Amino acid sequence: MGSLVLVPRLVLADVRRHRLQAAMLLLAVTVATATMALGLSLNGVSDALYEQTRAATAGPDVVVLSGEPGPAATSALSSLARAPEVTAHHGPYRIVYADLAVHGRTSNVVVHGFAEKPGAVNRPLTTSGHWVRPGGTVLERGFATALGVGVGDRVTIAGRSYPVVGIAVTAATSVYPGAAQIGPGGAGSDYSGLAWMTRPDAKALASAHDLPVTVALDLALRDPARADAFREAHRDPDLRLTFRSWRFTAAQDLNLLKDSQPILIVGSWLIGFLAITGVAALAAGRAAEQTRRAGLLKAVGAGPGLIATVLLTEYLALALAGDALGLLIAQLSVPAIASPTDSRIGDAAGPGTAAVVTATLLAVAVAVLSTLRPTLRARRTATVTALTATAHRPRHRPRLTALSALLPTPLLLGLRLTARRPGRAVLQACSTATTVIAIVALLTLHAQTERGYGLGGSSVLPNLRGEHDRRLMLAVAVLLITLAVVNTVTFTWTTAMEAEANMAVARTLGATPGQITAGLSAAQLLPTLPGAVLGVPLGDGLLSLFAARNAVQAPSSWLLAAVLATLVATAALTALPARLAARRPVARALSAEAA
Amino acid sequence: MNGSSAAAVVTRGLVKQHGQGHGGVRAVDEIDLEVPQGQTLAVMGPSGCGKSTLLHLLGGLERPDGGEVWLAGRRIDTLSERALARMRRRSVGFVFQGFHLMEELTAAENVELPALLAGRSRRQARRRAGRLLDQVGLTARARHLPSQLSGGQRQRVAVARALVNDPLVVLADEPTGNLDTAATHDVLRIFGELRSAGQTFVIVTHDERVAATADRLISMRDGMFVDDLRMAAARPRGLGGLIGLGD
Amino acid sequence: MQDAVLAMLAKEPSHGYELHARLRRSLGPLGESMNRGQIYVTLARLERAGLVTSEREDGLPERPERKVHALTPAGQQRVTAWLAEVGWPKPDLAEFHLKLAAAAAGRLADPVELIAAQRRELLRRLREAQQAALAEPAEPGPAEPGPAESGPAGPGAGLLLEGVMLRLRADLRWLDACERAWSRADDEIEGG
Repeated sequence: MGSLVLVPRLVLADVRRHRLQAAMLLLAVTVATATMALGLSLNGVSDALYEQTRAATAGPDVVVLSGEPGPAATSALSSLARAPEVTAHHGPYRIVYADLAVHGRTSNVVVHGFAEKPGAVNRPLTTSGHWVRPGGTVLERGFATALGVGVGDRVTIAGRSYPVVGIAVTAATSVYPGAAQIGPGGAGSDYSGLAWMTRPDAKALASAHDLPVTVALDLALRDPARADAFREAHRDPDLRLTFRSWRFTAAQDLNLLKDSQPILIVGSWLIGFLAITGVAALAAGRAAEQTRRAGLLKAVGAGPGLIATVLLTEYLALALAGDALGLLIAQLSVPAIASPTDSRIGDAAGPGTAAVVTATLLAVAVAVLSTLRPTLRARRTATVTALTATAHRPRHRPRLTALSALLPTPLLLGLRLTARRPGRAVLQACSTATTVIAIVALLTLHAQTERGYGLGGSSVLPNLRGEHDRRLMLAVAVLLITLAVVNTVTFTWTTAMEAEANMAVARTLGATPGQITAGLSAAQLLPTLPGAVLGVPLGDGLLSLFAARNAVQAPSSWLLAAVLATLVATAALTALPARLAARRPVARALSAEAA
Repeated sequence: MNGSSAAAVVTRGLVKQHGQGHGGVRAVDEIDLEVPQGQTLAVMGPSGCGKSTLLHLLGGLERPDGGEVWLAGRRIDTLSERALARMRRRSVGFVFQGFHLMEELTAAENVELPALLAGRSRRQARRRAGRLLDQVGLTARARHLPSQLSGGQRQRVAVARALVNDPLVVLADEPTGNLDTAATHDVLRIFGELRSAGQTFVIVTHDERVAATADRLISMRDGMFVDDLRMAAARPRGLGGLIGLGD
Repeated sequence: MQDAVLAMLAKEPSHGYELHARLRRSLGPLGESMNRGQIYVTLARLERAGLVTSEREDGLPERPERKVHALTPAGQQRVTAWLAEVGWPKPDLAEFHLKLAAAAAGRLADPVELIAAQRRELLRRLREAQQAALAEPAEPGPAEPGPAESGPAGPGAGLLLEGVMLRLRADLRWLDACERAWSRADDEIEGG
């Protein structure tokens, strides 16, 4: 039992001594798990919001629509309302296809003609103002938000001005801009907002302008789960009726998030990968020290199990802390990300069990993958060897060394530094490739053209989904780039510290601080170049897995600029730590080595 | 002190302070020194007497807080870092107690490195390295990594490296500190050959054997010179006297 | 010296010049000042003491002084006793210590100066020994697996030189300690 007391003490002491590293691990894992948990929570959150809206607005189990209004349709709908499975109904009511203009923006709108006193089914919830009254209209909340309209504003519907008397939400239609379940005459629908008017107003609107109309009926079933069976049972061969089950509408909500999920999930994998490379580089930099620590523990009688526990616990504890933090962030940011419109109400529940488990697995994987090798090595190394361990000895690379002899001094030093730690060079290349993948995705997303939500696809009302995707992609790219920056700085500093004695010797041999700085920068830039060049096709390939058929590629000039910018940024990022390292007094570095 | 024009190393009122204010210690305290071309100067003293700091000041690895350092008639304490680096390439060769070889480079590559830094062609660098490794008796080990060499061999590589750019002066900091007797003798033998060829040395050491081979021996304490002993070329006066024979 | 010559005869009877040559070989550069006369004087003394006998060698009448020396039983006993003896010559530090004390007490000389002079002398000796050692062929050791040299049986004179130098270095370090101590004593007198 005594040894179990020892573990936290050793772990805490080590974390205290390596705060920066601990902070980096924490940051990396937090970002990775938050992104992953968000990605995995989207479905559940969207469903939950729909569910809450449905409960608050007595959402119908089935909406039946007929694009060909007339006595036949009306009687068919009325008979459906009397069907034995039906417990309550609302309608039939008129849906008028019109256009709406406000503040110089125009949009399609479907106007539902409702009673001033809502019925038993589909009772839209007024979130501000009040319900329809003669001459006034109520706007669906997601639509109103997109238009920037509030209660008291006036909107022009089919050329006539109406005051907005209220804002409401409903579960009977999909979120904005999917309010038109079917188009005029049962055709396909265009992006539309939703407005409500009194029945007479809606009727007047339709007849005054001879606007197309659809008739709809909202039904509540005895068994909501049998909504699909209801459709099968009541299919009318003579009349084209459209049945919309609540499940279908809920699934439509997710359409808006179609691209968000891959952005977040793939993004979280990339972030997790960067986290692993960064933390692995740090852990490798400390491998010698860890080996010595393991040796000390063995010397005082600790078994291999305890040693592995101590070494792994530190990373695991930090990773789990990062996991918890990431899940918290996911929980807090989920409403904003999972509900890009205001068409639904309710609180987004946090990440579900599956998301929590997966994110935690990711965190554990980061910790284990990045420390497994040093930990195993530390365990295996014989005690005496471990106690005298110095940093793992770099291997001789005759070809690179010979090649570098032909180069100017900074490249000579840089190439030899790269040759010292080929593993780190690979990590740096991977890190760069990941960054470039993110940038390519960002650029490609920005290169897409899409239909706006305004009238006739005008972008006076921006495409919410596109906006949302770009915002998300930007956030993921920013996170990825941040981690890549941290990685690059860490790599440079670790390289500089490991090569400190060597660089000090080079100084005594007559290398200038400028040459040392340039050499350290070159050591990072050399692997960055292939990484950046590789990142472009990798990014394209990754995107093509998710892209729509009509997706266009970003212009190659953009991609070239991105690669160049990455190189320049890396050079700039490495310059500072390299310069700091190169300016350290030579005499001190040399005497530290001798001591 | 004759022929100051021929002096390889000159210092005037050299001061180096470690730490600030009253807590500060003068590691080098007003030192005047003149080392003529071809002289071997040994500086002895207990640890912390400032002898290593003096060596670093002479090689431009540290900057003095006061006074002047001249190498081959050129004042170096006012030079920029870049100019100092160039000066080191051309005029100074360092040999350290800890060898300070680059572990991932072979013996030959280590020796070539300063030549490459000084802008020599690869072929020139290789030729010079080959000659110097021959001189220190390590031709057979030119392609070995430092980890495959004994301490004495490593130090001989370091000496060859210090010499590759024909330095004006070799600055050696405890060159035999990590060596056994046989290796010490190897290094001293090489130093002896170089001295015969006119190489100037400043050697900081607490090994009396190294000091005893110098032309001049300065004892240092608390940053100051306390004794300055010039040793005549050894006249064999009958070694038997050392063991009580023959007298 | 007498004991060493006796011990060399224990292997087999030898000529005086052979003994001289063997001693020179063992002492290396340290034995250069030793002449053959010293050996003959030593042999004569040993013979008088009954530890050594000598007889003229047959068949070489043209070299009449050429005698073969051999151990007597008493000589053999003396060699055995010498080998078993563990006595060790003591360096005479006390004398120098007292010299410093006396110089300081009587204000006859500055002890620090005396130490410096002594130090110079020891350094001069160390320099001689060092140069002799450097002139010796390098010891074949594990660090330098060169071709094995066919030298005299056992380690050469380099080993003896190393011993000499270690002694000198020990004495030099003691002189450093003396110097520190007497400098401090000086300071206290001046300060007080």
